[in-house]
Amino acid sequence: MQQEYLTIALSKGTLLKPTVELLKEAGLPVSGLSEDSRNMVFTYEDEGIKYLMCRPTDVPTYVEQGAADLGIVGKDVIVEQAKDVFEMVDLKYGYCRFVVAVPASMKDKHIRELNYRRVASKFPLIAEKFFREQGLQVDVIKLHGNVELAPLMGLADMIVDLVSTGRTLKENNLVELVKIMDSTTRLICNRVSYRTKHENIQPLIENMQEIVKGGDST
Amino acid sequence: MRNRQIPRGLRDLLPEEVKVMRSMEKKAARLFSSYAYEEVMTPTFEFLEVIEAGRGSRREDLFLFMDREGGILSLRPEVTGSIARMASTHMHDADFPRRLFYTANVFRHVQPQLAQYREFRQTGVELLGAAGVWADAEVVNIAVKLLASMGLERFKISINQLPIFNSILDDSGLDAEDRSLVRKLVEDKDLVELYRLLEGLNIEDDLKDTIAALPVLHGGLDVIHRIPYVEKNRNASAAVEELIKIYDALKIYGVTSNIVVDMGVLRNLDYYTGLVFEGYSSDLGYGLLGGGRYDNLLGQFGLTCPATGFALHMDRLALVLKCRDEEPDHYLVGGSNYQAMIEKSEQLREQGYIVEMDLGKHSRDELEKRINGKNNWTLLYVE
Repeated sequence: MQQEYLTIALSKGTLLKPTVELLKEAGLPVSGLSEDSRNMVFTYEDEGIKYLMCRPTDVPTYVEQGAADLGIVGKDVIVEQAKDVFEMVDLKYGYCRFVVAVPASMKDKHIRELNYRRVASKFPLIAEKFFREQGLQVDVIKLHGNVELAPLMGLADMIVDLVSTGRTLKENNLVELVKIMDSTTRLICNRVSYRTKHENIQPLIENMQEIVKGGDST
Repeated sequence: MRNRQIPRGLRDLLPEEVKVMRSMEKKAARLFSSYAYEEVMTPTFEFLEVIEAGRGSRREDLFLFMDREGGILSLRPEVTGSIARMASTHMHDADFPRRLFYTANVFRHVQPQLAQYREFRQTGVELLGAAGVWADAEVVNIAVKLLASMGLERFKISINQLPIFNSILDDSGLDAEDRSLVRKLVEDKDLVELYRLLEGLNIEDDLKDTIAALPVLHGGLDVIHRIPYVEKNRNASAAVEELIKIYDALKIYGVTSNIVVDMGVLRNLDYYTGLVFEGYSSDLGYGLLGGGRYDNLLGQFGLTCPATGFALHMDRLALVLKCRDEEPDHYLVGGSNYQAMIEKSEQLREQGYIVEMDLGKHSRDELEKRINGKNNWTLLYVE
């Protein structure tokens, strides 16, 4: 009989280390699990677990389509990808926040004074939604990196970006004007897998909830 | 080459795919008919008011256009609303209960990707004018039998009673906006946001715990015992009682091995009022069928009448069906004497075979090559 695996999509990059630690603590197999290897799929036959090494932005896609049953990825990615997945556990690590940042010279402005301005962001969906909910209209300029450069070069009046310590903002003479939302790492689940593999998934979820509640897993 | 493009989210179905689709339709029609459901057809588009009477004023996923008198028209996003309108015009109390089924293409402006199409085919049943446990059980039973009859192996149908959720929320004293937020979070199983929201609410702790538990209450009938707060609410208790009776009725039908009780199934259409259910296969990340009781929908069209039903998403099911129907044997008739070939071909067709006649006077060798490797094809070369 063909074995039914539980497939978990993992985010490569900074989230991977704390994720592996969490998996270990939850009693899941992690031996040899690393992104340095050429391997993109890690199969543990005895435990019936498969891991996929993905770019973080691809994790919600794998989970929504059911190519993975579960995924571990930042809330920032989930929101920007706007995928239809179940969000089961706040794993607490990988903290960062979405902010609207402006050049220091504008630091006393109220958000309402930013109507009809241009905003540069790697996260056009989040930027657009935030300003629309405030009843404001802005032009969103999608950039792929170094967003801090845009206000310096006059490409945009402000930026929407992800910050963790705020150092990069300071170095570029930008200040945080408004926090849009906090983001931490989440365990997400495919809508159907949750129902069809419930007996495998539910204990795992409860286990992770306990671990997160019990201590600081970062 | 614009003239070869098709709009996003639409697709052509080639012969192999149409065969699967038609085979599903045939099996569905046979099953529905055996329960005395009769087929109806409704228009491909309706006035927007008709569509909105059913599913509320959510317009993002509708294809809208105008008629020449200035009325707003919508391609049907589903068929249930149209059937409710039709029944309220053409059917009368004496006709009920009335069992109807349909197969139709529906149109939704979704983001196209695997298993999400902007035009897709649904087949479904509506049981009009029947309230109560036995009507609900009949329809859920048909849903199970339908998926089984298509040869689907591993599937589950999740059932829930909406009034349990609604009456629990009544006690919370939340305003309409917060209620719909809680509903969305439970439906989406966004546990993180749900817990955060509940933390900030000023309601009893055991009510909070119950709402928090709903999305993950999933399993056999015993999950009902894990929501103790329900006993404090008369409507919720009554709804639980009814769910137990429906489950017992499904036992008589012998389908409970495919049934799961899932308190997180809320269906996001506003018209559902009682039992709701969804069907899933472990081979596809998207739901296959959905339905439930909608006792107020026909009232929107002036005919107060309970009703229940479901629709199957046929394009999705086609993605996971593995077994194909047996086809009758095929003959390839070749030769150079067309009169003899036609006579032979017609004879075979009358006997029930499928016959393709070669129109190019190809040699026996060439024709043999053509059927080489094809199952159940035979070459008949007329000298």
